[in-house]
Amino acid sequence: MMTPASFISMLALAAGSPPMGPFGMPEQASTIAAEIDFVYQVITWVCIFFFVLIVFLIVVFVIKYSKPPGTKAEGTATHNTPLEVAWTVIPLILVIGIFYVGMKGYINMRNAPLGAYEINVIARQWSWQFNYPNGATISELKVPRGRDIKLIMSSQDVLHSLFIPSFRVKQDVVPGRLVTLWFNATHEGEYDLYCAEYCGQQHSTMLTKVLVLEEDEFARQIEEDRVFMDMLPPDRLYVAGPRLYARCKSCHSLDGSTMTGPTWKGLWEKTVSGETVFTDGTTLKDLIGEGKMFMNPEDYIMQSIANPQQKIVMNFTGAMPTFQGMLSPLEVMALTDFMKNLDKFDEKGVPKDPEDELQRVIDKAKEAEESSN
Amino acid sequence: MPEAQTHDKEHDHDRPWFLGHHWENPQQQFEAGKLGMWLFLATEVLLFGGLFVGYSVWRGNHPELFQFGSKYLNTAMGATNTVVLICSSLTMAWAVTAAQQNKQKLLKIMLTLTLAGAVTFLVIKYFEYTHKFNEGIYPGISFYQQPGEKSHYWDKSMVAFARPTWTIPVANVAPDLTMPMSEMSTVAAAATGPAGFNAAALETVEGGEALIHTPTPEEATHAIALEHADVDQPMHHLQDPLRPRDAHMFFNIYFMMTGLHGIHVLLGIFLMGWLLYRANKGHFSDKYFTPIDLGGLYWHVVDLIWIFLFPLFYLI
Amino acid sequence: MSIYGDSTKASSGTNYLTHTRGFLSWALTLDHKRIGVMYLVSVLTAFFFAGMAAMALRLELIAPGEWFLSQDNYNQMFTVHGALMVFLVLIPAVPAAMGNFVLPIMLGAKDVAFPRLNLFSYWLWVTGALFFVLALLTGGLDTGWTFYTPYSIEGDDHMSGAMGGVIPALTGAFVLGFSSIFTGLNFIVTIHRLRPPGMTWFRMPLFLWAIYATAIIQVMATPILGITLALLIVERAFGIGIFNPALGGDPVLYQHFFWFYSHPAVYIMILPGMGIISELISVHSHKHIFGYRFIAFSSVAIAIFGFLVWGHHMFTSGQSPLMNIMFSAITFSVSIPSAIKVFNWLATLYKGSISLNTPMLYALSFLFIFTIGGLTGLHLGTLATDIHLHDTYFVVAHFHYVMMGSAMIAMFGGLHHWWPKITGRMYNETLGRIACGLVFFGFNATFFTQFILGSKGMPRRYADYSAELMGAENFEIFHFWHFWSTIGSFVMALGFFLMLGYLVHSMFKGRQAPDNPWGGGSLEWQCSSPPPHDNFSEPPTVGDCYDYSMLEWDEKIQGYHRREEAATSGE
Repeated sequence: MMTPASFISMLALAAGSPPMGPFGMPEQASTIAAEIDFVYQVITWVCIFFFVLIVFLIVVFVIKYSKPPGTKAEGTATHNTPLEVAWTVIPLILVIGIFYVGMKGYINMRNAPLGAYEINVIARQWSWQFNYPNGATISELKVPRGRDIKLIMSSQDVLHSLFIPSFRVKQDVVPGRLVTLWFNATHEGEYDLYCAEYCGQQHSTMLTKVLVLEEDEFARQIEEDRVFMDMLPPDRLYVAGPRLYARCKSCHSLDGSTMTGPTWKGLWEKTVSGETVFTDGTTLKDLIGEGKMFMNPEDYIMQSIANPQQKIVMNFTGAMPTFQGMLSPLEVMALTDFMKNLDKFDEKGVPKDPEDELQRVIDKAKEAEESSN
Repeated sequence: MPEAQTHDKEHDHDRPWFLGHHWENPQQQFEAGKLGMWLFLATEVLLFGGLFVGYSVWRGNHPELFQFGSKYLNTAMGATNTVVLICSSLTMAWAVTAAQQNKQKLLKIMLTLTLAGAVTFLVIKYFEYTHKFNEGIYPGISFYQQPGEKSHYWDKSMVAFARPTWTIPVANVAPDLTMPMSEMSTVAAAATGPAGFNAAALETVEGGEALIHTPTPEEATHAIALEHADVDQPMHHLQDPLRPRDAHMFFNIYFMMTGLHGIHVLLGIFLMGWLLYRANKGHFSDKYFTPIDLGGLYWHVVDLIWIFLFPLFYLI
Repeated sequence: MSIYGDSTKASSGTNYLTHTRGFLSWALTLDHKRIGVMYLVSVLTAFFFAGMAAMALRLELIAPGEWFLSQDNYNQMFTVHGALMVFLVLIPAVPAAMGNFVLPIMLGAKDVAFPRLNLFSYWLWVTGALFFVLALLTGGLDTGWTFYTPYSIEGDDHMSGAMGGVIPALTGAFVLGFSSIFTGLNFIVTIHRLRPPGMTWFRMPLFLWAIYATAIIQVMATPILGITLALLIVERAFGIGIFNPALGGDPVLYQHFFWFYSHPAVYIMILPGMGIISELISVHSHKHIFGYRFIAFSSVAIAIFGFLVWGHHMFTSGQSPLMNIMFSAITFSVSIPSAIKVFNWLATLYKGSISLNTPMLYALSFLFIFTIGGLTGLHLGTLATDIHLHDTYFVVAHFHYVMMGSAMIAMFGGLHHWWPKITGRMYNETLGRIACGLVFFGFNATFFTQFILGSKGMPRRYADYSAELMGAENFEIFHFWHFWSTIGSFVMALGFFLMLGYLVHSMFKGRQAPDNPWGGGSLEWQCSSPPPHDNFSEPPTVGDCYDYSMLEWDEKIQGYHRREEAATSGE
């Protein structure tokens, strides 16, 4: 449907940055946004019209007919059927119209076009995971601009809801079902992605970004996301840490503050010295060693990621889901390496030495590869 | 009523003792009581209505559960109970007529018979439930076992109440990178199934060893079918090779619906006891039989609900 | 003395407050007026605690970060706020508290049909409230008042904050449901069977029509909530799996069950409020209500349509698009009867003789707020826009405009309207108007800002919106509006505390209320303030309750009396 609003948005598309929506709506960054905003605008104007009318009448009547107590009302008829019918039928026609435009916009929004690029989304308390056809697994949603994207979503625990305000899309993610959602992003940039359905303690931290990229850049990044682990020098696995940590940050801090899970600051030192105490009263020291529960500190970290309920650190609840199958062994090693080398990063996980930036390391590895060819 | 009695006695001799102070006449009070009871019964029907909707949804989605589950119900016992309830409904109606005709003795006999019917129903239900429990059919998760498992269904220390976490195959299995995306989602859909349960997720791991071994369906079918080849009776439900996944759902719904009905029968017993007590005191007559009438209505509805439950669970 | 008991004149005898004395004479009373008063006190107490929870939420959101409440506490707080407000306050506030007091007198009856059942439902309410207290003592809960599965059936040890209180809270809501059912049942029978001679259906005050429509919903919808909560309790205790996807159940089925009750429940809250407004506007304009039959039938129409629209809470839940479209269409049909009411109220004001008493100010506030609340419903009923607005602050603002701003404002309007009748005392009119103004402006500041937050995309039930989470740009916007929303909530709270102050003061020091301070035409204004134990000594004469031509202002008593009364008594 070519509405005036969608035409305007087409013009704006040529201009480059996404246009803002009317009446405080966020920017219009998907193909359906303009049409939905058009509906929103129509309804809001209808509302403003009736609101102003009603409040104007109230004010006029109150001013005009305020009388001291005991004054008899002038009085009018107690009913007037044509008038009653009029204010029944006119709103009825209006709402039928509103329903129609709303339904039309909705149908466009629901029916995913054929041949859309499919991304698997896994929601869990309290992080998002996006699995790409090429095997890349990331925690921010990256999409190519101008292509139909279909998200196939599932939840591992409770209800979640994927909500991207700038795209005007939202869909509950229901455990036990596969639900879908599609959109087509029109402008490059970074947008917010929220969980909109209450999902437990840290519901308000379950948010991430959508990165809309040009097709080439998208292809490059997503390929890199798949292989970046393989390109790291084995002695500097920790540079991948900040990136992998993005999935852990809603529960584990790097600055020593206590969140849902233990902070990672000093975690490695505690693990090595074995002073960690568990809820069942045991101490890590007694559990590490040949023939014991954990072979070595690294094994403890790995098992804690794969099977977090096995041993729960004192003063914490076993709130962590398993990451078994969601992290490759190499990624677990990188995380462990990150914990060992936390002093190379600041409290937000930004490397202190620019040489430790992941991008730089990968670029160097690429160059080396190319030059060796 | 006592208040009305003391309050109004002195100045109104025409007012019968049972007439509340806010009523004009007994007729008005009776009609109001009846309307109130009908409304209450409507809420009762709606209460069960929720369960009937749940039943329909589950039956629509998983007819195989109902086919499988219903053969483990004892139709003979159910039928007996149906007859008992219908008879008690009859005696209840008879009791109402007796009260209306002021036949005090008949009223007491009929109320006693109705009470006896209600008790009989619950006794039979008790045997039915006990038998189910002995077979390991409980309401709730403890019943949830896959075929071929060792029967440790009521051993809390092992699996009971260990809530399984459900897993999504795409996530848990390292993705096959060569597979196109569209196929991957189909695989996911298939593995997740309509009910979204991944059998593997139930395996509770202790000390790294799988506690429950789940044989392949072929294994189980082969071994057990041979064993039971010549037995006429249905085999133990856990060993039945035809046992569908989520078979517990049938019994959960069965226990919920018959359980709620049972609670209503229990309330009916108290009600009958109270009516009998008052009948013995001579409260009822052809002038005043509202409680008998309303109690009768309640009992008929409880009966009626069973008339629906019986075929829905036992017969079809 | 007639069989109907004492004379109606308060001066000549006792009233319902002084009829008998002692704690038990209240706790075991069968008098609908006393039960109404007990409901009123209990409901307002619950309103206080739920309101305090809301203030804690607003305080947390005035600044980013977890500066006042931890996420866990925040989640528990909004659960407590929602559950208490819905189950303990909004649902019983107008029907059970105001309705119990006013309904039989308005109808011309001596009591409700089943006084014992009435007392029983009050004590069920208390039991339900105690279960909520128990829920807080056993560890609280953070499921939200909707108890959505599967989150609400997760174990304590799992990914949750507090779960210990879920089963007590569910039990409490279950018990409260039966309290509500019995109240509704009682009112239906009362209206059907206890109308005195002359009180035909179309002579009933519109408040009674509204209560009647409400009672139908209470009786027909609440059992579904009952069975849903019962299933959820069993689900949580034993794991029967009906709503648990891990056991083959369906969480969306739970949502259907839940909203099948909880949407009609919205009308349990708002319909009696609308009934109060119909009375208030007519009485304080001293003019016959306009379009009586349209208002009466629109109440019934809302009650009926209200049963068919529950799916509009689930547009994003994954139900089929066809169902969404159907539910959206039916949803719009509910807006028509509401619009009819608003236009009829406006027509009643036209050429009236408006007295801007405190109750009238509440009624005008209601008109203003309900117009916004109703109109923004259009955004949410429309499929295309609801997808964006669902589960954001837009929804929060919308339902607060309808529930808090309309249902509760109507309740407070009714409280001020009938306060002289309930207590026999007048409150300070000036303070009343100031408090109403504070509540009105505070309310709009609190919740209009939330419409803007919502359309910007701020999701609801977020404990934090700090820049690290939301990004600097969003943070600026969210912080600005959250800040003003919180300021508004404090202004509103100030208004409520002022109200509490002058109302309590009036009970002891207030001027003696005349029988008819506002010039109302319905039957409750014909008996004394406060009414005698048995309401009426003889069956009252029933006329057109919206005919004010016979009422005259008496400067001496600062109230109204009937012309023929004045002639016969010769005062």
